Amino acid sequence: MKWALLFIVAGLALVASVLVGPAGLQSDIVWNLRAPRAVLAFLVGGSLGAAGASLQALVRNPLADPFLLGLSGGAGLGAVLAIALHLPGPWALPIAAFIGALAALVLVYRLGRIGGDVLDPRILLLGGVAVGAFAAAITTAIVSLADAAELRNAFLWLWGGLSSASWDAVVLISVYIPIPLLVLLGASRPLDLLALGEEPARYLGADVEVVKRRVYIAASLLTAAAVAVSGVIGFVGLIVPHLARSTWGHRHRALIPAAFIGGGALLAIADTLARTVVAPRELPVGVVTALIGVPVFALLLRRWTVA
Amino acid sequence: MLRRLLFAVILIVGCRPSDRPTVRQSDRIVSLLPSFTEILFAIGAGDRVVGRTTWCDYPPAALDVPSVGDGMPPSIEAVAARKPDLVVLYNSGPNVTAAQQLERIGIRTVLLDMNRLEDLGPATRTLGRLTGHEQQGESLATAMDSLLHHPPPTSTALHTLAFIVWDNPPIIIGAGSYLSQLATLAGARNLFDDIAAPSAQVSLETIAARNPRWIAVLSDSATPPAFARRREWRAVPAVRDGRFLLLQGSLFGRPGPRSAEAVRQLKALLAR
Repeated sequence: MKWALLFIVAGLALVASVLVGPAGLQSDIVWNLRAPRAVLAFLVGGSLGAAGASLQALVRNPLADPFLLGLSGGAGLGAVLAIALHLPGPWALPIAAFIGALAALVLVYRLGRIGGDVLDPRILLLGGVAVGAFAAAITTAIVSLADAAELRNAFLWLWGGLSSASWDAVVLISVYIPIPLLVLLGASRPLDLLALGEEPARYLGADVEVVKRRVYIAASLLTAAAVAVSGVIGFVGLIVPHLARSTWGHRHRALIPAAFIGGGALLAIADTLARTVVAPRELPVGVVTALIGVPVFALLLRRWTVA
Repeated sequence: MLRRLLFAVILIVGCRPSDRPTVRQSDRIVSLLPSFTEILFAIGAGDRVVGRTTWCDYPPAALDVPSVGDGMPPSIEAVAARKPDLVVLYNSGPNVTAAQQLERIGIRTVLLDMNRLEDLGPATRTLGRLTGHEQQGESLATAMDSLLHHPPPTSTALHTLAFIVWDNPPIIIGAGSYLSQLATLAGARNLFDDIAAPSAQVSLETIAARNPRWIAVLSDSATPPAFARRREWRAVPAVRDGRFLLLQGSLFGRPGPRSAEAVRQLKALLAR
């Protein structure tokens, strides 16, 4: 029943985001701009939702968010460097952002294993925050020292948006995300055990070290792809996992798919609102995800604490 | 109490040192906006300019003046090091703070609006008065005011265009910018003149649906911008067909004494 409801909401969100827009129903615009944008919003929102759900389990911290682990800082630095160095080609910016996110991933991973061969989730979290802040500082230094006025616009890109959606991007992302997504799904049983703590999980037969590594890398790869095509879209990866957990419980075999579909639906709806409510102008989509997500989250918090 | 406070605020705001009418001539001026630099040189006060921003690249003689940085926000120390007796700033939030700091160390400042073409006349008259070039200031101001009263050419096929400032997210120029006015004067219509702001983020599908005949971009290169090769932008017919107006940044990037020349160039581009 709840699955059927989730699929209906997701389906309606997708249909609405294809049909509704400031430009009416011109076939060229619907097919070449709105449809790929709706699908990309769904895939990006889904990736963030699934990545958030698994990272929260990995670091056993309800505040964990896909961007907390330094990837947004790395991606932003990559994007600003692409603009500052005038890297040619229409895909220079997303590729540079992706490489920046991967560099942050590697750096944070190295930091996480600083105490030996064991990946410590707490150090992972601290390392992520530190690497993110460091990259953001370098980014700001470049933007304020460089001459190019266009560098300031790099921040606009970084705040997130799906303006660059095209079928090229959709194809690329659809080929890319099933792999990390399947890795996360494959780790769903050990993730359930990890919630009990690392020692109990080990007694119950989970290969804790392998699982932590896999989950961290897979969730980060999902986030890196999302940030490369759409910048940093906040709140989806933080709030959707909690919403999903309140309905689907703590079993990751159900939680991860639910967070994926829920995240996709939320971002598709948010992007439709971003395009239409102040038309012909457009709101940054991160603003809309926060405006929808935060009140819902506050209501849920109240219900949990009252209950 | 509240009323008294309000009154005090009005008094303070109303008596901002920068608004004080002045008769003292300035001999060492730092100009913190390319438009002001161009005006100062055009009214024959170029020899009084002792500091400029990195953006002030016209007239060529301005390049001989030492730069005090990009002016966003102004570096107070770099400006003060030029020992100016007058600093001319664009009237914006960060610049108001900078002006207060300069006044505090005894340097006179003036904050001027420069958003639309009708700001040119008043700014030029003020700068003429402050430099003792009142006559030249007045005649240049009159010439620039007349640009506005020039009726746009009546054309049978009205050209439509959209100014694209940035591609991801798409940012366009609205009615609040002088660029929109330049388009009107050149006989074209900015399709986003229903947006009152100088610039705004819009969705790509709005640009595609409004279907401008031309895409105008500020660019010093002779080739279309990189976004022209992105697939999603090809949904805009003007991008697909390569109908770009590549506008030289130094001429179109600011309102100024050469705005009439900008209108002429835009007209010529549209007539191709």
